Amino acid sequence: MPASAEPDLELKDVTKRFASFVAVRNVSLTVERGRFVCLLGPSGCGKTTTLRIIAGLEEADGGEIRIAGVRVNDTPPWQRDIAMMFQDFALFPHMTVARQVGFGLEMLGQPREEIRRRVAETLATFEIGALADRKPDTLSGGQKQRVALARALITRPRVLLLDEPIGSLDFSLREAVMLELKDVQRRIGISFVWVTHDQNEAFSIGDRVVVMNHARIEQVGTPEDIFERPRTRFVAGFIQGNNVFDGIVEGGDGPVVYVRTPVGSFAVPGRDAALPPWGKPVSLSVRATLLTERPGAEHANRIAATCHAVEYLGSIRRYDFRLDDERSLKVEQFGGHAARIREGERVTLGWRAEDGVLHAPPEEAG
Amino acid sequence: MSTLRERSPASYALAGPAALWMLGALVAPTAFIVWVSLWATRSFSLANALTVANYTKFFARAAYVRVLGDTIQQAALMMAITGVLGYGIAYFLMVHVRSPVLRFGLFFVLVVPFWTSALIRTIAWIPFLGVGGVINQALLFLHVVDQPVEAFLYSRAGITLAQVSFYTLLTTGPIVYTLRNIPPSLREAAQCLKATPARVFWRITLPLTLPGIVIGQILVFLNVMADFATAQAIGGHKYAFLGNLVILLYESGQLPFAAVIAVLLMASMLAGVVVLLKAVDIRRLGAP
Repeated sequence: MPASAEPDLELKDVTKRFASFVAVRNVSLTVERGRFVCLLGPSGCGKTTTLRIIAGLEEADGGEIRIAGVRVNDTPPWQRDIAMMFQDFALFPHMTVARQVGFGLEMLGQPREEIRRRVAETLATFEIGALADRKPDTLSGGQKQRVALARALITRPRVLLLDEPIGSLDFSLREAVMLELKDVQRRIGISFVWVTHDQNEAFSIGDRVVVMNHARIEQVGTPEDIFERPRTRFVAGFIQGNNVFDGIVEGGDGPVVYVRTPVGSFAVPGRDAALPPWGKPVSLSVRATLLTERPGAEHANRIAATCHAVEYLGSIRRYDFRLDDERSLKVEQFGGHAARIREGERVTLGWRAEDGVLHAPPEEAG
Repeated sequence: MSTLRERSPASYALAGPAALWMLGALVAPTAFIVWVSLWATRSFSLANALTVANYTKFFARAAYVRVLGDTIQQAALMMAITGVLGYGIAYFLMVHVRSPVLRFGLFFVLVVPFWTSALIRTIAWIPFLGVGGVINQALLFLHVVDQPVEAFLYSRAGITLAQVSFYTLLTTGPIVYTLRNIPPSLREAAQCLKATPARVFWRITLPLTLPGIVIGQILVFLNVMADFATAQAIGGHKYAFLGNLVILLYESGQLPFAAVIAVLLMASMLAGVVVLLKAVDIRRLGAP
């Protein structure tokens, strides 16, 4: 069966207001077939509202939502080709697991025999056949999660929406459940849209990560893109392990832009061929792992700092330096290769011009 | 830290005062009424012979049996009306009113009339229902009727109307509580599982609020069964329920017979409560 060309999900300029508060502003996003997309952002950034708009649980004030190519703005949730998993799992307390899992098929008016067959099949797939006659209040967190997943997937939706689906699980369970969900998604080949505020979760599970802040999308990309090339100052600051500098453009040389900051001038690759105008406020970032305390000729950027604290984490050693303006500078080094720097020691750190990332200018609000 | 074990001396000691109180205030008087209902004569004497003749006399009189039937019928009618009305109010408040301030305000308005005594609330219906009352004047003004309707006051309809206003809140309260305990995500999850709003209601909301419904029904049932004041004030002396009969017989000095009716009233209340509790496990109240 050839895959149809339509993406599983498309959002175009979707906007949602609650009274005067704009929860989602001009969000555009395309989810190609069978993708695992994570909506990542701090609480209140609009990621859950975006998910609820896709589900039809909230109505968009503007823009367009398409599922499998079909505009669904005016389609109620029960007619959309989606399923949703809630953070609290939202299991029906008065129904047995079997009844619960078959609920979607029952609502679709499937014959009783068919429902029984597919429930048995689905319970077997998710290895919860033994729980068929149990009520939710007798299940463990991990079991509830499986039941919720089985219940959501039995109608074979085009897109599964997951709102912090492992947030209420024990920490020790999360890793395993995450891998299992990823495995399920690959096997059945539908798209998952997963909302989380946990970047480790987003990076380890998503094919695509969508970083949101203040009702907007800041960046869409693979985990590598977002990790290595944060598009905006917000993304660089939100993703752990970045050092962010604010400054103004003071010149350029071919592909390299020079930025003057309160703690020195740094060379950084330009975002495009056009040189940003001289004096323009910009920001740049460099990953903590890319700084070295023994800069060589290739390390064009230098900065003096005093070691404030050292954290030994086994495979890496994490340093907290203080710059001359008392701001913090994070440095991470792998294993025993690097020479140890003691607290209170003053060193010159360096990084290569091409390791820095110049951010896109902040978009104008409105 | 210590926990109280069941059937330990400490637990009995703690339950003691309440048990003594219940014994003195509930068990003893009830036993006394049962005893009186078995007296062979009207006069108080420990030497009274005991007989079930009073009970046979009650069931031999068609008029009395009809009052018993009317009372149960009135209770059933009230349970139906206040059940539907109370559910509607509770559902509207908890599901449709999104603003907590507005919700509180509306609930407050519902509760305010209950700050006055039951007697005043009952009497207040008279100028409302009477021939020259508010309802009739409004109907005349709107030309819905040409002549004042007499059927409002001193009628079964009038009694029912007043009782609905007194007892609907008894059903609304427990349902509000059970509705509040249903996470909105359950309704949303059902919608995402292809359930239309009507099916969400029948399959999710209603079953989960059953304990609240049953508690409301018990409260209305007990109150209507025991209500004599409404029938007296608004029904004039044209209508009597079991409670009115008890007063009537008591005032005319027929103590054993009044006790018979009181016992029958208690028995039917107990039976009703047992039936309702059998239907739904109210211990699940509050469980989401």
